[in-house]
Amino acid sequence: MGGPPYDCMSNPLGAVRLTFEKAIGLGSETLTHPSAFDGKDWGALELFRHFLFQESGLSQVPILNPKTLRWVQHNCLVRYRGMIQDMLGNEFYVGAYREEGCSWRTNKFTDVSQYAMESPSDTCIWERRLLYCVPVPGQSSWTVLSCDMDPKWSSQSREKRRRMNDEDEVPMDLAPEDEVKRSPITKKMRENEPPASSEPMDLKTASMSTIQFVDKDNLPCLVKIYDSPESDLKLNDVFEFIGVLTFYSELAVEKDENDELSNILYDDARVHLPPNKVPRLHCLVHRKLAVHDFLLGSPIMEPKPHLVKEIREALFRHLTVVLGNDGVAAHFMLLHLLSKVHTRVDDVAVGKLSLNLTGLSKESVSVFGTRLSQAFKNLLPFTNCMPLTLEYLNTASLAPKKDYQTNRLIPGVLQLPEGSHLMVDETQLESGSLNSIGIDNVKLLKNLIEFQKVEYDFQYYKVEMAADVQLLIFSEGKSNIVPADLIVPFQPSSLESSEIPVGEALEAWRWYLATVRSLPHSIGSEMQKVVEDDLVAARQADRSLGSRDFSRWLTMARLISSSLGETSLTLEHWQMVKEMERLRKERLK
Amino acid sequence: MASDSSPVKFDNGPSSPDDSFSSPIPNTSSPAHLRRRGRRQASTPSSAAATPPPNPSRFANSAATPTPTRSAKRGRRTANSPTPAAAAATPSSTDDFPPPSSEGGDDMEEATPTFVWGTNISVQDVKNAIQMFIKHFRDPQELSNDIYGEGKYTRMIHRVLEVEGEWIDVDAHDVFNYDSDLYNKMMRYPLESSTSMRNLNPSDIEKMVSLKGMIIRCSSIIPEIREAVFRCIVCGYHSDPVVVDRGRITEPTSCLKQECLAKNSMTLVHNRCRFADKQIVRLQETPDEIPEGGTPHTVSLLMHDKLVDAGKPGDRVEVTGIYRAMSVRVGPTQRTTYIDCLHIKKTDKSRMTTEDPMEADKGSQRVADDVQFDEDKVEELKDLSKQPDIYEKLTRSLAPNIWELDDVKKGLLCQLFGGNALKLPSDASFRGDINILLVGDPGTSKSQLLQYIHKLAPRGIYTSGRGSSAVGLTAYVAKDPETGETVLESGALVLSDRGICCIDEFDKMSDNARSMLHEVMEQQTVSIAKAGIIASLNARTSVLACANPSGSRYNPRLSVIDNIHLPPTLLSRFDLIYLILDKADEHTDRRLAKHIVSLHFEDTEIAEHDVIDLGTLTAYVSYARKNIHPKLSDEAAEELTRGYVEMRKRGNFPGSSKKVITATPRQIESLIRLSEALARIRFSEWVEMRDVTEAFRLLEVAMQQSATDHSTGTIDMDLITTGVSASERMRRESVLSAARNIIMDKLQLGGPTIRLLELLDELKKQSSGSEIHLHDLRTAVATLASEGFVVLHGDSVKRI
Repeated sequence: MGGPPYDCMSNPLGAVRLTFEKAIGLGSETLTHPSAFDGKDWGALELFRHFLFQESGLSQVPILNPKTLRWVQHNCLVRYRGMIQDMLGNEFYVGAYREEGCSWRTNKFTDVSQYAMESPSDTCIWERRLLYCVPVPGQSSWTVLSCDMDPKWSSQSREKRRRMNDEDEVPMDLAPEDEVKRSPITKKMRENEPPASSEPMDLKTASMSTIQFVDKDNLPCLVKIYDSPESDLKLNDVFEFIGVLTFYSELAVEKDENDELSNILYDDARVHLPPNKVPRLHCLVHRKLAVHDFLLGSPIMEPKPHLVKEIREALFRHLTVVLGNDGVAAHFMLLHLLSKVHTRVDDVAVGKLSLNLTGLSKESVSVFGTRLSQAFKNLLPFTNCMPLTLEYLNTASLAPKKDYQTNRLIPGVLQLPEGSHLMVDETQLESGSLNSIGIDNVKLLKNLIEFQKVEYDFQYYKVEMAADVQLLIFSEGKSNIVPADLIVPFQPSSLESSEIPVGEALEAWRWYLATVRSLPHSIGSEMQKVVEDDLVAARQADRSLGSRDFSRWLTMARLISSSLGETSLTLEHWQMVKEMERLRKERLK
Repeated sequence: MASDSSPVKFDNGPSSPDDSFSSPIPNTSSPAHLRRRGRRQASTPSSAAATPPPNPSRFANSAATPTPTRSAKRGRRTANSPTPAAAAATPSSTDDFPPPSSEGGDDMEEATPTFVWGTNISVQDVKNAIQMFIKHFRDPQELSNDIYGEGKYTRMIHRVLEVEGEWIDVDAHDVFNYDSDLYNKMMRYPLESSTSMRNLNPSDIEKMVSLKGMIIRCSSIIPEIREAVFRCIVCGYHSDPVVVDRGRITEPTSCLKQECLAKNSMTLVHNRCRFADKQIVRLQETPDEIPEGGTPHTVSLLMHDKLVDAGKPGDRVEVTGIYRAMSVRVGPTQRTTYIDCLHIKKTDKSRMTTEDPMEADKGSQRVADDVQFDEDKVEELKDLSKQPDIYEKLTRSLAPNIWELDDVKKGLLCQLFGGNALKLPSDASFRGDINILLVGDPGTSKSQLLQYIHKLAPRGIYTSGRGSSAVGLTAYVAKDPETGETVLESGALVLSDRGICCIDEFDKMSDNARSMLHEVMEQQTVSIAKAGIIASLNARTSVLACANPSGSRYNPRLSVIDNIHLPPTLLSRFDLIYLILDKADEHTDRRLAKHIVSLHFEDTEIAEHDVIDLGTLTAYVSYARKNIHPKLSDEAAEELTRGYVEMRKRGNFPGSSKKVITATPRQIESLIRLSEALARIRFSEWVEMRDVTEAFRLLEVAMQQSATDHSTGTIDMDLITTGVSASERMRRESVLSAARNIIMDKLQLGGPTIRLLELLDELKKQSSGSEIHLHDLRTAVATLASEGFVVLHGDSVKRI
């Protein structure tokens, strides 16, 4: 093909149409009935994959966020990064239809037929899945892609937009009563904007009404999935969706009083998520995002041990400074940041390593808590904080809960994607009574830290969802409300504030944390024998040791070994574990 | 709609004179009790034909498929389709498919042949076939003697007419047996398939589907117009009722009265129109159908007439209906889907009726509570229960990661299943709950056992003795002022009503909380004083507690009571007390080490062989608790008495005045509960001899561990009930009498005092051989002081 006769970026539907026509054999002798596709792909995806990945079109595709939403075009190719927060089931649509005397046309990847669909003589009903996606909770700012698009592309589109403005075709409704509400938000948004990307004023005001309730960090998106098995996309997964945008107000819900039945039947997502508020993305290609995908510009490095050790050393120094020169705590912190659930056997989530720093008061938390939180925001993709006060426990909705009035899953604080970090500050917890919400919340926290599971409340029943959240608890004494794997009395020796790490170092550390976490790991049979003997000896010496302690040691052993960039356990690592445990025990005395 | 075109009425060929076989109506079950057992087989006719239901009574009962119901209702719907748009937009719709059974009757006899849309099936033929079936079908079970009797369905139609019902249930088996061609037509047009909500896809549209799910929302009742009457505002002429056609009413454009003929003068007369009820219900997948990482799907149901309010939110139901898609205003290319409901069956009636200790109340509960038993599952469980080694197998499956401790596990198993609670007319009640105490060294996986039972028990509460206020309705966050440790104090016992309350670190429980346990474990209630009112709350809970010895290790020289410092009164409330001693066995340690290492370093799952998985185990327990209520057989009762007497006898040493209590009446109750639980494990309605034998064995194993007097080696219940063994008591008595003698000898009335240590020396001199401690003497002197024999001032004893 010498230059495709369509533009995947600005007219993806055109490309879809072309492939469809080709697939049904338009222009050739034998026509294929579109029902043969049964909604499945007929070759359109291949085209887009080629465009995105072979021709590296991906980087040109604008990321959908509140800022870009103002200028990206309806029916254009966009990408959206977010967490699957809710699944709204399947939707049936007229996938293909034929007017009397015309050829077949398709409605795949769009909500609105491109041609008037008056009274089609033949239709095919296909289905698509609806996913409600939101920006990842606690997403650090470094993971958000900047919107510096190819200038040619964005200026072009601005051009277009301006032209459309002139022609008064902007499909935005400017309801006058919104005037009042709008102004403070407009102001807020302006404040939040970096000056570099300021756009012409007229654009901003023109499109403001549509995004008034979409605050800066929170642009939800209704993603319609076409060609993907159900098991591919799971709740709380973080994905990048690339597809066709539908976002304009013509689809706004018209309350049709006469058609009572359809209103009642159709009272779910589409009413509560009106299309002029929540953009729709008709997904062509999707990919699950790992932390690596958030690392910008850093080359994919081989995790070579010497390189890894260097970075580890630097990161360890950084953590030590952040932790007020408490080297022991920094060691444990490093392991904690590398932990993740590797496997689950029965109820045991193998690989988790939650950390409880004790000896903190309200005052010291305000210093070190803030510092750590800042450090984590720089290092980790998703970080969250939870101030554990009585009032919080008694009022917060930690577990996601299904609201049957709106047929939506109301997110809870603990609806977090895999690999999130959660800091729980228990220093502010005072004695007092818990109400029933509080009891449930405590139970949820306990289940999360012990089993890495969260029960979602579907009112008539609960559904247990697996989680993988790193938990760090600050407390005065040992926390029995959120019992962690590791209890480390925190002993800072200086209040010196840490230097702000430079960009390059930060990138290296992020890369390190992301890479090392997923290193494979094994144990040699000799080493296995050594470990077993040690465990037996330890238990013979101290009968109070149990499987929990052993499990912790082995998790630490694995993490130490990985943190040094190695994939099998050595005697040295194992001795480090024993030494760390010795130091910790000393502190506990 | 309700009155005139009741779907059965017209096809009551049977009520016409030509089939007036009159005969009494023998053994039919009342339609109200008909259940739809036949449904599943119905969709697989071949297998059904190959294996006709073996059990006559069941067959009669299974006259259940709602086939005529659906076809009957279809007819009505055809006339007033609520989906005009869909009908127009999707020509593939079979809306105008003339339902086999309902058309015609009165007015369509003369109609030209009509065909089912898209087929060459003649409506007339089908109708005739159905009439033939109704008239001539005879239940093979009844055939034997009454060949000229009225057919099964004729009778049912008569009955339904009498009670002014609207439909009858027809067993698809019967249709298949009588006329397989008719059966095929019935099933395929519309096609019925039993499917899961998740698998509904566009190819199911306009087909009959049957789904299971839970009702989560019901709309208010919507009146739907069926017949409209118009009045001319000019002349006042009332039109004939206009029937809804495809969801629309055609309003007359002009007055129909010849004298008037005014244009656009007709208005609707609301109070002369006829309305029918309609309701939209939302059905959601049940938890077991949700794949990992998914959320439950929902589907809307459209209910008409009698189906309105047939289920309420929270009900688990199985519905049959036609899956429909219709276009919506919000997006012309989108379709909203719903199920035009024809039949609804509640699947969890049993939950309402049983008065079982584990019966679930409404409210927040563990998922396990919601385990529902469909017939397949029940069959599976029953098969399981028939295995000869089920008891062993269950034991093996209980906490498979904790090795050995088989007898403890067996005890726990009994606790899970529980005995029968009994309430006598005299208001005396006997608890069925079995309480177990595990005492042992730290690190002997007691806590893991507790955690495991907590997970498995239908309503388990896990709490630590350190933070249990036992009674509070709310929980309390407490902070240790010194260490800053936070603990949660929860009112565990109330929360675990009808469940198992697992109390870790029982020895650390406050005395106050423990005293509450007395009441809980015997009366099964908790009294709470709040704002001057004493409320008694139910706490029908089994207690599973574990306690660490007060020293760091268990001292086998001392009694259980001395080891854990629990009041004997409380201890005696436990049916079984197990000692789990850590034998510092290197072999076990190595096994643990190996296990943990492989857990961390081998990706292969450690497969436990031949164990029942947790889900099945939970279901098995719940089912047994809910449905099995074993009674004592005479033989078992006799064995109980005999065994008990024998146990008591063991305490009498012939030729000795020494009397050791080896069993107390409390143990009889325990034994009954244990035997009942053991019968339940086998799903047996009768407690048999072997259950009693095993109960005795379990009790003895537990007693051997905890109530053995180490100085004599025999079981001594006094160790549990008073904390002092008989031999110990005798020893104390001898010390007492020796002390009394010395004081009599050495001291004058009101004379000089003697120091305790001197007294001790004297004692030791006299009773050479046996060891006497100062505290023994102190106890003895205290006893003497209480007798008014001496007074004790500090260390000096004075005779008075």
